[in-house]
Amino acid sequence: MKRLLVLIAALAVMALALTGCGEEKKAENVLKIGTMSPLTGPYAADGNDIRQGAEIAVEVIKEQGGIDGFTDIKIFPQDTACDPKQAVAAANKLINEKATGVVGAYCSSSTIPASETLAEENIIMLTPASTSPKVTERGLTNMFRTCGRDDHQAPAAVKFMKDVEGVKSIFIVDDKTTYSQGLAEGVATAATAAGIEVLEHDHVNQGDKDYSAVLTKVKAANPDLFYISLQNSATGALMVIQAKRMGIDAKLMGQDAVYHPKLIEIAKADSDGMFCTFGAIDKDAPAYKDFVTKYKAKSGNEPGAYSAYSFDSAMAYLKAVKAAGTTDPAKVRAEILKLDFVGASKQVSYNEKGDSGSNYTVYQVKDGKFVPYWNSLSGEKY
Amino acid sequence: MQGLEHWIHMEFFIQQLINGITLGGVYALIALGYTMVYGIIQLINFAHGEFFAAGGYMGVILISWLATQGLHPYACLGLALVLSMGYCALLAMAVERLAYKPLRQASRLAALLSALGVSIFLQNGLMLTQGVYDKPYPTEITSGGFEVGLVSVSYMQIFIVALTAILLVGLNILVFKTRIGKAMRATSQDKIMSALVGINSNRIIATTFAIGAGLAAAAGIMVGLYYGSVNYSMGFVPGIKAFAAAVLGGIGNITGALIGGLIIGMVEIFAAGYISGEYKDVFAFIILIGVLYFRPTGIMGENVDDTRV
Repeated sequence: MKRLLVLIAALAVMALALTGCGEEKKAENVLKIGTMSPLTGPYAADGNDIRQGAEIAVEVIKEQGGIDGFTDIKIFPQDTACDPKQAVAAANKLINEKATGVVGAYCSSSTIPASETLAEENIIMLTPASTSPKVTERGLTNMFRTCGRDDHQAPAAVKFMKDVEGVKSIFIVDDKTTYSQGLAEGVATAATAAGIEVLEHDHVNQGDKDYSAVLTKVKAANPDLFYISLQNSATGALMVIQAKRMGIDAKLMGQDAVYHPKLIEIAKADSDGMFCTFGAIDKDAPAYKDFVTKYKAKSGNEPGAYSAYSFDSAMAYLKAVKAAGTTDPAKVRAEILKLDFVGASKQVSYNEKGDSGSNYTVYQVKDGKFVPYWNSLSGEKY
Repeated sequence: MQGLEHWIHMEFFIQQLINGITLGGVYALIALGYTMVYGIIQLINFAHGEFFAAGGYMGVILISWLATQGLHPYACLGLALVLSMGYCALLAMAVERLAYKPLRQASRLAALLSALGVSIFLQNGLMLTQGVYDKPYPTEITSGGFEVGLVSVSYMQIFIVALTAILLVGLNILVFKTRIGKAMRATSQDKIMSALVGINSNRIIATTFAIGAGLAAAAGIMVGLYYGSVNYSMGFVPGIKAFAAAVLGGIGNITGALIGGLIIGMVEIFAAGYISGEYKDVFAFIILIGVLYFRPTGIMGENVDDTRV
C-alpha cells in the first residue's frame, strides 16, 4: 500500500514537471483574455451565457487563423458570483495570469470595483451586460460597454407605458442591487415627470422566494402596471408566478435582467403578456443567425439574453488587438474607438466614454417566446 | 368610502395572515428537523437546509419521471413525496454515520464544524450534479385557488398547511405514543442510562436524523411546487430562518418548532406588508437575537442541564 502511494506520488511529480516544461515552451506570445461573470449563485444563468459567448468569439477568431504575432489565444473564465469582493479577487487573479483584456462583469456592482482594479494595470475591460450609468461615467480609459445604459432604459420604459399602454399608475419593486435599484429609481423619476403616478416603490431582499407580502400590497394598490426590477430572471419568474396566483391583473413589466428564456421556462403561461425592455437584437439578421449556429454547435444550448453581447465584446477586443498588432493598452483603446462592425447583437462602435449606444426595445412574452413589440428609437410597434 | 377603505384594510390583513401561515408552515417543517436532532444529541445540524434542497430536487426529478410513466399527476406527486422523503432519510442516515457518529465522543465544536463541512459538501454536490440554473417545477398539478372578496387563497397554500398539520400530528404520535418514540425520549434524556436498559441509542439517533430529513424533504417539495422552481442554494436562507424558528420555540421542543416557525413566518410577512419588503430578514433575525439575549431557552424550552449527558 505504502509503495503504491509512493509510486503515485512520484508519477504525479513527474506529470507536473512535464506539464511545467510544456507550458514554458509555449508561453512565448499567448494572447490571454479573461471573462468575469457569476458562474455560481443565483445569477449563474446569465454568467454562463457571458462565459460561453466570449469563448465562442475566441474559437471563431482561431478558426479564422488566429491573430498575427500571437501563437495562441487563451481564455480564463472567472467567477464573480455577483459579489464585489469576489469580483475584485477575480480581477487580481486575471492580473496575475497576465490577461490583457477582460469581458465582464455582469452585475454593475461587480463591474465598477473590478474595473478600478484592472485600471491600475491598464487592462481593457468590456462589459456585455452592466447597464448602470456609473460604469462609464468615471473617466476610466480602460472601460467599454457593449450593452445599453439604464438612463436610456428607464425613459424608454416610461415612454412605452405612457404612449403605448396609456398607463396612469405604477407600482415598482426592486431587489436593492446597484443595477436593479438604480434602474427602478430612474423609472420612478421618469414616470413622475411624465405624469404617471408612482403608487409605491418597494424593495425585496436578494435570495427571497416568498413575495406574497409585497404582492398583497400591489394588489391592494391596484396599479395599471407593475414594474419588476430584479437582478435575475429566476427570481423574476417567481415574482410573476406569485403575482398571477395572487390575482393581480395589472400589466407586468420587467427589464433586461429579467429578460431571459429562463423566465418563460419557469413561469410558463403565467409570464404570457409580460413586457420586458432589452436591447434590440435583430434575430433575422445573418450575423445573428450565424452566431446562433456556432453557439449551438459549440455550447450545445440556445444563447441566453447576454450571449450575443458577450460575443461582440470579445470580438471587439480581438479585432482591436488584431488591428493594433499588440496588446499595448493605449494602442488597443485607439483601435477599439475606430471599430465599426456588424456584430451579433447590433452594429458595434464605441464613443470616447466607452459606450456603444442604447437601442431599447420592448418585448412581449407570447406563446413561450419574447416577441419584439415596440421600438423606443422609432417609437413604433413592430 | 370610509367603510370601503376599512374593508380593504381588513382584507389586506387577512391576506397577509394567510401568506404568513403558509410561510410559517414551511419554516416549521424545516425547524422540526433542527429541533429533533438538537433534542437528541445537542447538535445544531447545519446541513439540515441541504436536505431540504435535496428533497426539492429529488421531488422534481421523480415527478417528471413518474409523469412520463403515464401516472395520474396526483399519484406522481404523492409517490414523489414519499420517495423523496425516503431518499432524504437515507441520505441523512449516511451523513450521520459518516460525519457525526465518529465525533459522538468529541467536543461539540468538532461536530458543529463537521456539520458545516457537510453543508458545503452537499450544496456543492447539488450544484455539480444538477447545475447552477434554477430547475422549474411542474406547477400545473397544484395550480388554481379561489377568491373571497379581495382575499385569494391558492390550493397550494391549503395543501402546505394541511400537510404540515398532518406530518406534525403524525410526529407527535410517533414521539409520544410509540415504543420508538419512548426510546427517543429516553435517549435524549440520558444516552448511557438508556443504553443500559437495552436501547440501541445509535439506531435511535440515526432514526431521528432520518425523520428530520424526511420532513425537510417534504418542505422542499412543497416550496418547489408553491414558488415554481428549485435551486441548489435554496437550502441556506430557509435553513437559517428555520434555525431561528427552532431557537425561538425552544430548541429541542417539537411544539416549540411549530410555534416558532409560525411566528417567524408571520413576522416576516407583516414586516414586509406593513413596513417594507427589505425589512423582512431584519425582523426575523431581531427575534433570533432577542430570544438568545432575553430567553435563551425559547418559548417552550426548559432549562437544559448540561451535565446530564
